[in-house]
Amino acid sequence: MKRFLETGNFAIAEAAIIAGCRFFAGYPITPATELAESMSLRLPQVDGVYLQAEDECAAMHLCIGAALGGMKAMTATSGPGFILYADPFGWALGCEMPMVVLNSGRVGPVSGITGAPGQGEFYNTRYPTQGGNYESVVLAPNSAQEAMAMVIEAFYLSERLRMPVTVLADQLITDGWEDISIPETEEEMKEMGMRFWPRKFHPGPDFYPATDALDIPPVQMGKNTGGLCSDWTPTEQGYDIEEVEDHHKHAYRLIYKVRNNRELFAHHYEKKYMDDDPDLVVVSYGTPSRVVNTAVGRARSQGMKVGSLRLINLWPFPDEHFTRKAKYLAVELNWDGQLVREIQRAVPKDSDVHFLGICGDLPTNQDLLETFDKILKNQPLQRKGWEMEAW
Amino acid sequence: MKDRIELVASGFGGQGVVRLGQILGEAGVKQGLRVTMLKSHGTEMRGGYVRSQVVLAKKVVDSPICESPDYLIALSSAAYNRFKHTVADNGLIIYDPDFVEEVDNTLTCSQKALPAKKLAMDNFGKPLFSNSVVLGAIAKLLEEEGAVNKEVLLESLLAIIPKFKEENKQAFELGYKSI
Amino acid sequence: MEYYSSNLIEEYLRTRKIPSTACSGCGLGMNHKVVIQAFKELGLKTADIIWGTSIGCAGRQTFATFKGDGFAGTHGRAYAIARGLRIALPPEKKIVLSVGDGDAFGIGLMHLIHSARVNADITVIVHDNLGYQSTGGQFGFTTPMGVKTDSSPYGMFEPNLMSEGMDVMHILKGAGATFLARHVVLADGAMAVESVKKAILNRGFSLVHMPHPCVTNFAMKHLGSRVPVEIFRWFKERTAPLGQEKPNTIWATGIWHDASNTRPEFSEVMWGATEKIRRTGAL
Repeated sequence: MKRFLETGNFAIAEAAIIAGCRFFAGYPITPATELAESMSLRLPQVDGVYLQAEDECAAMHLCIGAALGGMKAMTATSGPGFILYADPFGWALGCEMPMVVLNSGRVGPVSGITGAPGQGEFYNTRYPTQGGNYESVVLAPNSAQEAMAMVIEAFYLSERLRMPVTVLADQLITDGWEDISIPETEEEMKEMGMRFWPRKFHPGPDFYPATDALDIPPVQMGKNTGGLCSDWTPTEQGYDIEEVEDHHKHAYRLIYKVRNNRELFAHHYEKKYMDDDPDLVVVSYGTPSRVVNTAVGRARSQGMKVGSLRLINLWPFPDEHFTRKAKYLAVELNWDGQLVREIQRAVPKDSDVHFLGICGDLPTNQDLLETFDKILKNQPLQRKGWEMEAW
Repeated sequence: MKDRIELVASGFGGQGVVRLGQILGEAGVKQGLRVTMLKSHGTEMRGGYVRSQVVLAKKVVDSPICESPDYLIALSSAAYNRFKHTVADNGLIIYDPDFVEEVDNTLTCSQKALPAKKLAMDNFGKPLFSNSVVLGAIAKLLEEEGAVNKEVLLESLLAIIPKFKEENKQAFELGYKSI
Repeated sequence: MEYYSSNLIEEYLRTRKIPSTACSGCGLGMNHKVVIQAFKELGLKTADIIWGTSIGCAGRQTFATFKGDGFAGTHGRAYAIARGLRIALPPEKKIVLSVGDGDAFGIGLMHLIHSARVNADITVIVHDNLGYQSTGGQFGFTTPMGVKTDSSPYGMFEPNLMSEGMDVMHILKGAGATFLARHVVLADGAMAVESVKKAILNRGFSLVHMPHPCVTNFAMKHLGSRVPVEIFRWFKERTAPLGQEKPNTIWATGIWHDASNTRPEFSEVMWGATEKIRRTGAL
């Protein structure tokens, strides 16, 4: 085990390499630039290729090309680049091409603030492209160390589910420095819970069976299988066909291969002080959860019956955590409220759902404790500048 | 040491504030501590405000934000004024009087002047080494806390800044003695 | 599409898509046959070629026509996909892209230029039907001046890549392409086959621009006739070999630029650098 102080970007690059990634296409964007830089340094050392694309749209298409040729590929960006993935993302979802996409959130919309954390792409990562008729898998770590683990997990899931998987981080994770442990032996990797899945070969001819089954290798070019893949509705063999019946079979697969195999990743969450049915459940993901965990601990010592639910698997949204009627508070790095909408949908009717939004910085323990207190006492949340808004 | 030590260093872009945080963090790791270090800056350009937030802890660091720092290293008056009120009551502000001209005497925390730039100019003729002076001072404080050994911090400094080893070492010693 | 030679069909094509879904009289069939004929004359097997297409008439009608492996990219992006694929494929595999003018010279121009820049070993066949015909006939970036389309009802007047002495070939040559040719198959079909062969043999970025008539939309709107011979004649009158251009020539045909195998190829450069860095730690 190697242990040193490094940025999340650096840790993620090492994780990708451990997962077998040998192709990375990037486009400089704060706060994911250093990941591209790390890959440009590291990939040639391990027999891989780093390409700098002409834009993010090209970056993900380059990954598609490499994946079509049998390589494990990755690209990374921030919000303004993530929207340029929309085009290739649709292709990769439809043609079921495994790859890993990392989005490090900053403050938006548009260029916004480059060097500060934001969580504006909660829904964007669920719907990274148009058209619907697909499920998305999104993992949201809250530290550099966990980002490393989740990138490896994303590669694993992308192979087994045959689809692009998104890791949603934020500026504090990728640009922040942290003590990081990098495993060096298979034993250490196993101890750290890392799972791996190799790229496998599909001999054809039925590349797109109407099934929710796992572990169907993707179509590959250059092996003379007669493999076909396109942006149109495919027949089972990959011919383009614009028939609703065929599209329904295709969409069924894109949706239910994920929904029916949620046990693969549904365990990615963290609960603290949740065993005694707390009066208030504080829900968060990413770096804000680190303050939430502290604040909830402090609230407990002050006698408040508060629990922390941290989502790591964001999409498909884990409704199973919201079956109990209680008070819920979403803590997010945005001012418009995104996660809170999904919580409102998932909770039992008439549950009390609140929102605390901050952007560009983490909430403070004091903010959180005051908010917990008010919610527990059924007091209205005061509008305090832009930070707090009754939902 | 206590469970968690928060240190904020802030100044202009180009002063080496991020590097300072990195060296301190690296020393923390070498010392077996859990460490986070955040850098934030208003703009990509030099001259903007830059801040490093370092947390040294015995266990995994939860929040990487320094809400009430034990130490504030203020290397510009803007940084001083922006963060002086966040410092814990029993905390300490170290400021460089070359940059922080007006000191707020109403604060409840302690404050110490460290003429890092002047020491660097007087001894080496270059402001470049003022960062090592600051690190030397931090070494003294963290050693007193029982958090990081002086030698470990110096080793990290010399590993991360491999140029001008001798001057950096001397500057570090100057800082160590001057606080 | 017009396939009289059944051995070409048997060897290279999927009967499911031949005859194609293209309109009757469409020039795409003639172009397609030129490409397949070139495969045959080079002695290539289906396993040697990856067939890439994209959006629009050229992309949709030629996707899955080739018996081997094939992909269709999103609109304009096949050049970026092909570049990534080039890295992953063994060097002996050929990538041939069968695309349209909107795809290559409109939405995909940046990706195309960057593929030329790095001299990626890709052969791009641009089946240029002079605009966006699959959406009903709007002008594109090679539509001749004065031509009436559904989105240029007063005649084409916006400057484009083939107006005012501009030619898209200049851009591609400047970007670093190592083989460039243009052919109008109804005028010089035999030479077109020769150029496609040269393009495939160039280990680098090649593009063969093959303008062809669209009977259904282009001819109907501009000439007021769907009779193929009318548009064929209109095309031939505006085509001349390079160096023999007349005042009304739009398409100067022949080999525009042949620097085959003079520049290092993209994937060779990348893997060569990787290999050297891995071995020695530096370039």
